[in-house]
Amino acid sequence: MTDWHATDPHADDRLHPTDPHAGDRPHSTDPHTPDPHAPDWHAPDDLAFRYADGSLPEADAWSLEKHLEHCTPCASRVSRAVRETAAGAVLAEVRQSVLRAAPKSARKPAPAPAPAPSPTPARAPAPRLARVLWAAGPALRGAWLSAVLIVAVGAVVLAYGAGYTGARPLLLAVAPVVPVIGVALSYGAYADPLHEITASTPSAGLRLVLVRAAAVLVVSLPLLTLAGVLVPSSGAPGAAAWLLPGLALTLASLALAGYVGCPAATAVTGGGWLCAVLAPALAAPGGRLTARLADQLATVLDGAPAQGAWAAAAVLSAVALAVRRPAYDHLGRP
Amino acid sequence: MAGLRVRHRRTVALDSVDLDLGPGVHGLLGPNGAGKTSLIRVLATVAAPTGGRVELLGDDVRDRRHRSAVRRRLGYLPQEFGYYPGFTVREFVAYVAWLKEMPAAQVPAAVERAVERVGLAERVDAKVKTLSGGMVRRVGIAQAIVNEPDVLLLDEPTAGLDPEQRVEFRALLRELGTATTVVVSTHLVEDVAAACTEVTLVEAGRIAYRGTPPALAELGESAGGAGDNPIERGYTAALRTHRAAALEEAALEEVAR
Repeated sequence: MTDWHATDPHADDRLHPTDPHAGDRPHSTDPHTPDPHAPDWHAPDDLAFRYADGSLPEADAWSLEKHLEHCTPCASRVSRAVRETAAGAVLAEVRQSVLRAAPKSARKPAPAPAPAPSPTPARAPAPRLARVLWAAGPALRGAWLSAVLIVAVGAVVLAYGAGYTGARPLLLAVAPVVPVIGVALSYGAYADPLHEITASTPSAGLRLVLVRAAAVLVVSLPLLTLAGVLVPSSGAPGAAAWLLPGLALTLASLALAGYVGCPAATAVTGGGWLCAVLAPALAAPGGRLTARLADQLATVLDGAPAQGAWAAAAVLSAVALAVRRPAYDHLGRP
Repeated sequence: MAGLRVRHRRTVALDSVDLDLGPGVHGLLGPNGAGKTSLIRVLATVAAPTGGRVELLGDDVRDRRHRSAVRRRLGYLPQEFGYYPGFTVREFVAYVAWLKEMPAAQVPAAVERAVERVGLAERVDAKVKTLSGGMVRRVGIAQAIVNEPDVLLLDEPTAGLDPEQRVEFRALLRELGTATTVVVSTHLVEDVAAACTEVTLVEAGRIAYRGTPPALAELGESAGGAGDNPIERGYTAALRTHRAAALEEAALEEVAR
């Protein structure tokens, strides 16, 4: 209270704390307005008007401003007074342009100053998870995902539920085809119901194809390898032996698709693999079929030379894909 | 676009089409199979023309980098489009916004606004597969306008909408046309009369007529075309003239041989 006098000895005497009943009349225009620092003091209307038109001495204006920091009724009264002056039109204009420039989401929660978050962000999809699912494309939403699960779970059930000894060879023979099929079902007019819209967006082309192929691999490689680890080996190669062939066949399909289209390309690579593994096993003389299949798989998959060849095939396919990249940027047929 | 030519295997869908489109609502009118969809798909950078040149927003779309820039500013509603069965309206529109490479921070608000503009705000969290055909078409319009495109291509947008929705949709078209180049293909002459600033008549892969809807209506009155309203009469009259001219041209060619 003393600093009120101290800050401005020449203050308008109406501001001096001479009225003991000021607290009872918060909105009074009583000329004997009490000290703005008193707990129950409120700014009278004429003070607000003089603040608004700039005729209030500077020190009084400061004190009033200090009071406004924690008194909403006075703040709104002063702001009303200011809006009635010439500055009001300017303020309204500024407010409009700020609102126009502000993102719409920031405007939405405005109606109530509630501390609770507005319902809008809560209902919006969780961006990161949504983006991962979006990137994954149609294969991970449809029948292909069920197929992967059936192959993986089926192998384990066959081995332990039915006591079937050929689960590992069978799984290794089928596994490399699974990501190839996934890629085939990921992109293109015949596989993606949204393709006509997708094709008109900047995302269309090789990048989206690769993102979706990666999603397919991320799901199928660990699942099928884990299933392979769980079933007994029955003389077949290790559970991870199919990873490089799987990758190589997937990349080869993508590269080939640049020449002959995705359905034909996947038919060639997937079908080629199955022929290379199953045909010799079926043709070979003697022994049980699963044993012959395990032998054939060992030839194709076991050892550094075989794995090295698959790695080389994967690299070559990647190079061919990079070379053939423009095919993915070609516009479709009319 | 200049000298645009599109082939479907052996048949020519579009033959030497020259069009220059600016802001406004351009109606593409014509009988089924006239080449409207081919034209829209070429403009949407989905299909490549067999010949000719397409320039969108000042860039030749044959160049891949330019094409990406153009595609970000494009909206396209195909005549038929699918959706992922599990998607809600919000997810569907947000997914397309993602494909259009909109900044992630803008997507939620843009989706809300687009869905609101097509009058589906109340169904925003409904699965697309539970919606009626007309509503699905409105979802399609919402995905097309979610990035506030500079070029908006709508292939038969009013198909499946009931009369009231069509009236609302035309109002939206007029609003969009103030700042955007909107190309609407339709076989409903009422759409053209009510919403378009310009009408282009396509017949057998060629431009049969270009002008404003009132001018087409006037042509109908003066040339006495058949139909129930002025625009319809204009439509039939313009088609008749075009066909007669095409026949004459063919006859002359025959004589020249």
